[in-house]
Amino acid sequence: MPTATTKTIDINVRHVTRLEGHGNIVVRAKDGVIEKNEWQVPEAPRFFEAMVRGRSFEDIQTVVSRICGICSVTHSFAALKAIEDAMDIEVSPQTSMLRLLTHYGEQLESHALHVGYLVAPDLLNQKSVVPLATTHADLVKTIVEIHRVGNLVMEKTAGRKTHPIRLLPGGFSMLPSEAELRELMQALEDTLPRLEALAAAIADVSGKLPSFERDTEYVALVNPPTYPFYEGQIGSTDIEALTPVADFESVVNEYVHPQSTAKWCKWHRESYAVGALARYNLNADYLQPAAASAANSLGLTKGVCNPFLNNVAQVVESFQVVERSLQLIDVLLSTGITEERPRVTPKAGVGVGGVEAPRGILFHKYEFDDDGICIRANLCIPTNQNHANIQLDFEAFVPQIIDREQDEVRHLMEMLVRSYDPCISCSTHFLNVEFI
Amino acid sequence: MKPSAIIGMGNPLMSDEGIGVHVIAQLQRTELADTIDILDLGTSGMRALHELEGRDTVVFVDCAMMGTEPGAIRRFTPDEVETRKLEPRLSLHEGDLLSTIALARRLGSTPRRIVIFGIEPKTIEPGESLSPDLATRLDDYVEAIRQELG
Repeated sequence: MPTATTKTIDINVRHVTRLEGHGNIVVRAKDGVIEKNEWQVPEAPRFFEAMVRGRSFEDIQTVVSRICGICSVTHSFAALKAIEDAMDIEVSPQTSMLRLLTHYGEQLESHALHVGYLVAPDLLNQKSVVPLATTHADLVKTIVEIHRVGNLVMEKTAGRKTHPIRLLPGGFSMLPSEAELRELMQALEDTLPRLEALAAAIADVSGKLPSFERDTEYVALVNPPTYPFYEGQIGSTDIEALTPVADFESVVNEYVHPQSTAKWCKWHRESYAVGALARYNLNADYLQPAAASAANSLGLTKGVCNPFLNNVAQVVESFQVVERSLQLIDVLLSTGITEERPRVTPKAGVGVGGVEAPRGILFHKYEFDDDGICIRANLCIPTNQNHANIQLDFEAFVPQIIDREQDEVRHLMEMLVRSYDPCISCSTHFLNVEFI
Repeated sequence: MKPSAIIGMGNPLMSDEGIGVHVIAQLQRTELADTIDILDLGTSGMRALHELEGRDTVVFVDCAMMGTEPGAIRRFTPDEVETRKLEPRLSLHEGDLLSTIALARRLGSTPRRIVIFGIEPKTIEPGESLSPDLATRLDDYVEAIRQELG
């Protein structure tokens, strides 16, 4: 068996899709010396910016909801908030509550997918969720049921499980009935014990998550005394002051990096991280009781800087969004659903929307002319904001594991990337098959 | 939930990649038995899992690279194909319909009949128009799916 000082490591994990998807892990080391250690990524959503130019403000959310099949609601909300900002449109408290409920549904379904389908197989020594469904059938069924409820929330509030159709500038085209809200309430109440089961399963095996730590800056929406996903200002673990969402360009500071066609971001350091762990580190004081209890039992503490614990933070957030959803539905049912139809008169202006996607803060900025036609767009997705942080994680992590066997090094690096769940090829989905 | 469903997958902002969604839009304008749900699931592959449970028949229509000429439609079942995709599982965003069906089968929640209509793309790039090879055959695709469900 080769020793650490003589062996060669040559890892090249290529994320192959036909078009824009290259999320490559490239590591080369010889005689224990690391020669190459790169996270290589392409640009993903820039062409959508061109696609919305020339369109009416009324159509933007429909277009951007197709950018991503996992975060379609979040893209819609970022667009709607930017449009409403540009045109000084006020939304009703009912609209805000229903949007928040929809948004919680997306967080829940995405977190269930991520933890259940991507992370659990790693922790339970399976190649994917498909064999896991045989070895740990009850756990997978629990995860599938949590995922189903997240989808149900979006379907009942936004009209469709994916790519929402009822969301409009100023409000909704159609509202859920009180019977539908009661159905959601029951489904969400039934979800809490399932989350307990998921948290217990993760707690049992969370010791398998690498104990790697690297101090970094965490960035997320902040809106005391809440744990925000839908509104707030931009907070950082490096500074006390909050930055208005309208000034997001001074936060993301996009720049071109030679190993990537995607733009990278940095703020107070060479990189920052967004996502569940960033939200937790900035807002943990405002968790609901079951979420705080889950954090405690999972050993998650504020200030932690192990990127692998992003997945543990997702479990905690799943409790948070279910608890808050139940509270919102309670308020909506006690006040009753009021029929509202948004009426918007377009006007020229520039607006910014900033919301938390499951995998981190997302910004949309648009400029409109007098007729409400989009003349400029700028979209900054969470994955781009995490690229530099992933690279710096690579640079700190690989020297710690380079003496291990190549397959183990590759697996650990894949796990590291998975912990961020980068959105690197979400705009296409086609089958590629061979007949047998 | 109705006993049968026709589910279109794909992204209509990526030219031919969105053929499944275009076919669904066309089907929604035609008369079909009221025992059939017609669903546009876009690019959210895993959500299809919940549409497989509790049904008798599910028909998928999706863009598929099959090595045939652009615009060709081919009917197959999940057992008649193997995926050629390399999936290092780095992201939720690389899901595949075949792996979703495989998971549903492991969970014991698949319909009696699953059929996939694959349509060979000519172009997959940003854009909202189908290439002529596919656009001119949209009615044929709709008819093939209608016939499948009698």
